Amino acid sequence: MHSQKFGWLLLSPTILILGLFGIFPFIYVVWVSFHQWNPFAANPLMVFNWASNYRTLVFDKQFLASLGITIAFVFFAVVSELVLGYVLAQALMKDFPGKAFFRTIHTLPLIMAPIIVGSVWKLMTTPSIGIIPYLLRSWFGYDLNIGQSAAAAFTITVIMDVWHWTPLVTLSLIAALVSLPPDPFEQAQIDGAGKSQIFWHITLPLIRPALLATVFIRLMDALRTVDEVLMLTGGGPGSSTRYIGVHIFREVFPKTNYGYGSAISVVVLYLTIVVCWLLYVGLIAPRAKRG
Amino acid sequence: MASDSRNNEKQPGFLPIETNWFDRLFISIVIWVALTLFWMRFIEPLGLSVWFAVAISAVLGAYIIRKG
Repeated sequence: MHSQKFGWLLLSPTILILGLFGIFPFIYVVWVSFHQWNPFAANPLMVFNWASNYRTLVFDKQFLASLGITIAFVFFAVVSELVLGYVLAQALMKDFPGKAFFRTIHTLPLIMAPIIVGSVWKLMTTPSIGIIPYLLRSWFGYDLNIGQSAAAAFTITVIMDVWHWTPLVTLSLIAALVSLPPDPFEQAQIDGAGKSQIFWHITLPLIRPALLATVFIRLMDALRTVDEVLMLTGGGPGSSTRYIGVHIFREVFPKTNYGYGSAISVVVLYLTIVVCWLLYVGLIAPRAKRG
Repeated sequence: MASDSRNNEKQPGFLPIETNWFDRLFISIVIWVALTLFWMRFIEPLGLSVWFAVAISAVLGAYIIRKG
């Protein structure tokens, strides 16, 4: 009993912090989502309105459109980051001149604040002064204007996210690749297995836990992207890059519609949990044994 | 302690994965939210109250927790 009490004592700071900064705000957001609340209006009190915000939400075309483009953004960004991150991790496993230097500078985007990344990419993509439109015009005769072309704006936001977060994937996968035992690879080579066979049947299954953890982290992060996109495109042109995070920002801050913004946040959290859970069930959950 | 271990025991049910009671509660909540939002969007405009969705979810949830 003494050891159990001591265990709870050791856990108490974590439970306290989790309760204060995780569980309590979550319950509060759920509570607010069932209210009509504009603290800056003539009546700043919260008015309970049952599920009215959720009822509005399921018919909100802007929200549904945001959800669609967010899913597209997450898909393209996370898949690109995984592929590029894996290629870079494999490259960094080999020895080449300047490897230490490259390994250091390739992690630099990670230490930049998202708002800075957005500002830098805005400078680089502004048609009159940006280096990217200038190079695209001189090399390919292509006029890049993310203020006019929805497809270009979407693509640039994906590229920006890939640039920012691929190093995280690379670092995770390097850690996974370094810890792999050499024996299965040697045996496979002796048996005459090709590179693709080794990749699909040995490397991929062995790094699957690290890969899944990375996918979960990136998935959750990409679903709530706000600041980078807000700085780069402001959600435009039109609403072509109004991802769900940007949509919540636009609902909560300019309109001060806290109840409805909370309802969107709860639904987005729900979708994030469901997607991660489905990935877990599909890829690593133990199958039920049937008698 | 005995009841704790019984609650956390992985039991074979109709779900395709191994689950404990908390997994099945989680699945029930996920279904409840999805069904309620679906009902609000497509069924409620036809005149059937969303409380039907809540009742169906409660029955389904109880079944999943007991037999899942």
